[in-house]
Amino acid sequence: MKMPAMVRRRMPTLLVLALVLATAGILQLTNANPAASQSLMLISRAASSDPGLDPNAAVWNESASIDVPLTAQQQAYPIGGGSIATISAKSLHRDGNLYVRVEWTDATQDDSTLKVENFSDAVALEFPASASATVPSICMGQVGAGVNIWQWRADSQVGHGDPSERYPNLWVERYPGDGPEFYTARAAGNPYALADGGPVQDLVAASFGNIGPAGSQTVQGQGVYQAGKWAVVFARPLNPGDASLTAFHETGTTDLAFAVWDGSLSERNGQKSVSAFVRIHIFPGDAGGSATPAWLIALGLLVGLSGLGVGLAVIGTRSGAK
Amino acid sequence: MAKVYNWQLGREMDYRFDNGNAKWQFAAVFNTNRCIACQTCTMACKTTWTFSPGQELMWWNNVETKPYGGYPQNWDVKVLDLQEKANPGGQVWDRSVPLTTRAPYGTFDGKTVFETADGLTKMVTGYTPTQEEWKAPNIHEDSATKFPKDGVQLPVHDGWFFYLQRICNHCTYPACLAACPRNAIYKREEDGIVLIDQGRCRGYRKCVDACPYKKSMYRPNTRTSEKCIGCFPRVEGSDPLTEGLPMETRCMTACIGKIRLQGLAKVDDAGLWVEDPTNPLYFLVHVEKVALPLYPQFGTQPNVYYIPPRWVPRDYLKQMFGPGVDHAIERYSNPSRELLAVLQLFRASQTIVFSFKIEKGPKIQELSLNGVVHEIYDDVVVGYDSQGREVVRVGVEEKVFERPQQFTMNTI
Ligand code: SF4
Ligand code: SF4
Ligand code: SF4
Repeated sequence: MKMPAMVRRRMPTLLVLALVLATAGILQLTNANPAASQSLMLISRAASSDPGLDPNAAVWNESASIDVPLTAQQQAYPIGGGSIATISAKSLHRDGNLYVRVEWTDATQDDSTLKVENFSDAVALEFPASASATVPSICMGQVGAGVNIWQWRADSQVGHGDPSERYPNLWVERYPGDGPEFYTARAAGNPYALADGGPVQDLVAASFGNIGPAGSQTVQGQGVYQAGKWAVVFARPLNPGDASLTAFHETGTTDLAFAVWDGSLSERNGQKSVSAFVRIHIFPGDAGGSATPAWLIALGLLVGLSGLGVGLAVIGTRSGAK
Repeated sequence: MAKVYNWQLGREMDYRFDNGNAKWQFAAVFNTNRCIACQTCTMACKTTWTFSPGQELMWWNNVETKPYGGYPQNWDVKVLDLQEKANPGGQVWDRSVPLTTRAPYGTFDGKTVFETADGLTKMVTGYTPTQEEWKAPNIHEDSATKFPKDGVQLPVHDGWFFYLQRICNHCTYPACLAACPRNAIYKREEDGIVLIDQGRCRGYRKCVDACPYKKSMYRPNTRTSEKCIGCFPRVEGSDPLTEGLPMETRCMTACIGKIRLQGLAKVDDAGLWVEDPTNPLYFLVHVEKVALPLYPQFGTQPNVYYIPPRWVPRDYLKQMFGPGVDHAIERYSNPSRELLAVLQLFRASQTIVFSFKIEKGPKIQELSLNGVVHEIYDDVVVGYDSQGREVVRVGVEEKVFERPQQFTMNTI
């Protein structure tokens, strides 16, 4: 049987592609995640003292940071973002709590949503809700493989003020009442509308448009804006005791993705800068106490090889197209 | 994108969802010719629904003076401008098609706010008015285009203004709903009222950006958007005051000028109003075609219908109410016997009138206007509620009562 000319010309490319696919298959079988941003691993070591929620706590010097590239969200309406190129992340754990510190450059501090045209700076971490075999779709998960999202918002940290608090000269003759029934969204149980909800929301999602509050709110966080950068710390018990939320294990590895919103560009919802999944690995014991285990080196090698494969494939495709 | 039929445009159009059709549709007719801009409607809504902290700049009902006034400022000019830029010179109507109930105003050949959007960054072409623009709801009140030395006279005034009464249009194809990435907005099947689920809203304000009428509004202290709820406890008859019968909304029933009539129109599976010439709304919109939708070219199929002001330049009115303006003003200026009777139903009852009958009365006047002879009959219009029971009976001739002598002093 004669092969069509086009297929013949592209044989080298196809072979390389087959090799790459096989490598990816092996990665999948060995439970390594091909969706993860392949060379990035955030290591969480035990902290020597309680990191607390202060992003400037000295204990953070014990942790090495990784820089995670961000791109525009292109998967679903409304697409957008991409204005923030990188987020750097560190992680520590202590006394059964996981701490993640993120930092990114943003020229404007947008922490008020008092006006209709104001949107807030924000950052979110996304984890697979359970250690399921299927990796959830990076954007908002999928049915049967949900995600657990921790979102910190600058405006929520400042608090939900009534306009009269911000405009001291505002004069209203009389408000008939200020019970929750006069704040419809609060009366409807919308956690996002609560006056004392705190700056971090623990959310779960299984698809676009389906994000909602987690059954229990155990994530805490705090951010500071300094020298043109936001630094935010998230803290949560490794195991929140809630089956719908991500449980971390000492010596465990799981996926983690980041999203950043720039309020000054009216970014909200899907309009955000997003990362691919990276891996977060939690080491037991003291900070600096453990060397990189042999299996991790092996995985790194495998990942490197598959990266080489992808590179070859790209070159092959280019030459085939000529 | 689904294909839906928009009868106000006389054609199919793209919409994000294909289930935009309710079984009944909340609708109202506003007679701009009679409004005195007393803002009683505005205050009726305000004191019922939006009197709490965070709602200070929120007026679900507002009455603005055209052409300069607007809440938020210049909302309509801005949306028209965005649409014109997206489709330069193309926002035109074709009036050569047969004018049926499927296309009562012809066919709109231009693009709707859905059709000019890219569907990726925006589902709807729109903009978000700034807080500053919401702050002066009655700006340019009573400002006329000019004050001609010799005064003005019909058919078109040289210097003019008029009042435009606005609430949410409970659109058949709501732009607010199409824009919400959280699907927090829904349209009720039983009456077509469009609501924002206050439990689901996360304050993305896509609806504020998308609604071409700017009737979705942001509340900063709950960080959610709120909008006119069509006084649904009254319309569905669950408010104790209604005694179980559908009742017109607060802004309608409070109307001093008797310019408003609201009710429900039955809708078929194709999204068209079921033919029912005894329903006052159907009669005014489809039989007499005296009441027209506001900016139908936006494409949301809005459900507040306006009897256009007789004295305003027609080009301005056609841009605002579509090409049915000449016909509507002609009908209103030379009303049929039936139309004159049905106009008496405005503000005659709080209970929603689902159907009417006209009992013929004697001729009471004959007058000649601009060479046309008008015969006036004292017909009586009888309105019936959802159960077919009589709720109101009004004659064309306004009755005059003389008070007894003892009440002439010091009374109003
Ligand atoms: S109450 Fe009636 S007359 Fe008064 S402003 Fe409102 S619509 Fe116009
Ligand atoms: S008028 Fe605006 S807010 Fe009301 S239903 Fe239509 S699009 Fe939505
Ligand atoms: S229908 Fe009710 S909620 Fe809507 S504007 Fe009128 S009074 Fe306000």
